[in-house]
Amino acid sequence: MRSFDAGSLERPDSSLLKYYAIISLLTGPGFLIMFWPLLFKYETLKYRFEDEGMSMSWGVLFRHEIHLTYRRIQDIHLSRNLIQRWLGLATVSIQTASGSSGPEMNIEGILRAGELRDYLYAKMRGARGLGSHATAGGGNPHDEALSLLREIRDLLRQKAPPSRQS
Amino acid sequence: MSRRVEEATAWVYRGIWGALSKWFRVPTEPPSLPVDGTEQLETFRPAEGFLRYLKFKFWFFLLIADLAILAAWLALLVAFPFAALWLAPLAFAIAVLPDVIAYIAIHLRYDTTWYVFSKQSLRIRRGIWVIHETTITFENIQNVSLNSGPLERFFGIANVVVDTAGGGQPGKDAHGKQQMNYHQGLIEGIDNAGEIRNQILGRVRRSRTAGLGDEDASSSGWSAEHLIALGEIRNTLADLQKS
Repeated sequence: MRSFDAGSLERPDSSLLKYYAIISLLTGPGFLIMFWPLLFKYETLKYRFEDEGMSMSWGVLFRHEIHLTYRRIQDIHLSRNLIQRWLGLATVSIQTASGSSGPEMNIEGILRAGELRDYLYAKMRGARGLGSHATAGGGNPHDEALSLLREIRDLLRQKAPPSRQS
Repeated sequence: MSRRVEEATAWVYRGIWGALSKWFRVPTEPPSLPVDGTEQLETFRPAEGFLRYLKFKFWFFLLIADLAILAAWLALLVAFPFAALWLAPLAFAIAVLPDVIAYIAIHLRYDTTWYVFSKQSLRIRRGIWVIHETTITFENIQNVSLNSGPLERFFGIANVVVDTAGGGQPGKDAHGKQQMNYHQGLIEGIDNAGEIRNQILGRVRRSRTAGLGDEDASSSGWSAEHLIALGEIRNTLADLQKS
């Protein structure tokens, strides 16, 4: 299994079109009304995953673009209905702290949705820095406040008898 | 006798469940969360009491519905005896079939609900037709509530609800079905709800941010190193004063 690289994800998988066709067929007579917008959406859907944030855009007549930063993600949902499971698809929904009750962004048509979810999870607040504890200790050599404090301590120690040292 | 029946039902159910999980691609293993190194995940599911609670509600409504169907059929029998006898199999099917499906659905619902806790976050999986997984970090939780009705208390269970920032009333979708509130994590039917609430609250309190996308607390303010240096200064000053 090759490693997951979200940056290379730009287009949804072609099975998303199959999924759209199936759910349009399920509406019966409404197939054509239902299918055209979804076909347009599939044809124009684009994703961009960058270091700090992500964006998606779609639409032919009415264009939509959504941008958000990973840090402001509140919660991540992954849902798969029966048809999606058969096709190996999933919807990753992302929520920010805005006032709508529905998700702000629905990422559809990603085959390795679980890995994408965990990628986003590792970038969201509260789970950042998973796997690296370098920042946790505060061992930053360029920390000005810390070096000043140490300077004061050393100056004071020169004045005081070296009796109590922790 | 009843024990053998129980074993047989369990066997049949396992068979149905096995087939369903294969055809319907239901994951049989619990969800996992990315963790640091060797950290242990805490994985659990609703308590046994939750299953009993669901079944109690099921038998209650089954009794009412089947009595209604029986009464309607008896009325028909008095009015048109011939037609009623013809309709008997149909009435029987209407009375029994939904019950069987509902009973299986209860077990499936119980078996597909999972709660996973790591140090940073929690993940909830729920659903049969639509499998829904919610991931919330403790940093982002705004409040925790615990609720239980009298019937739920009788079965020794309670629900813990965690809310994140943002809101809006969840509307009805195209089919008139109540949509779920995406800013909420529902941990339902657990028997150690107080413990779980305290555990979540403890982790939420430890977070020093407002949970609205502000920078991590560790990148600002006093770190452990600062505190050590400050303590040393205090000690040295105390020594100076003594001498």
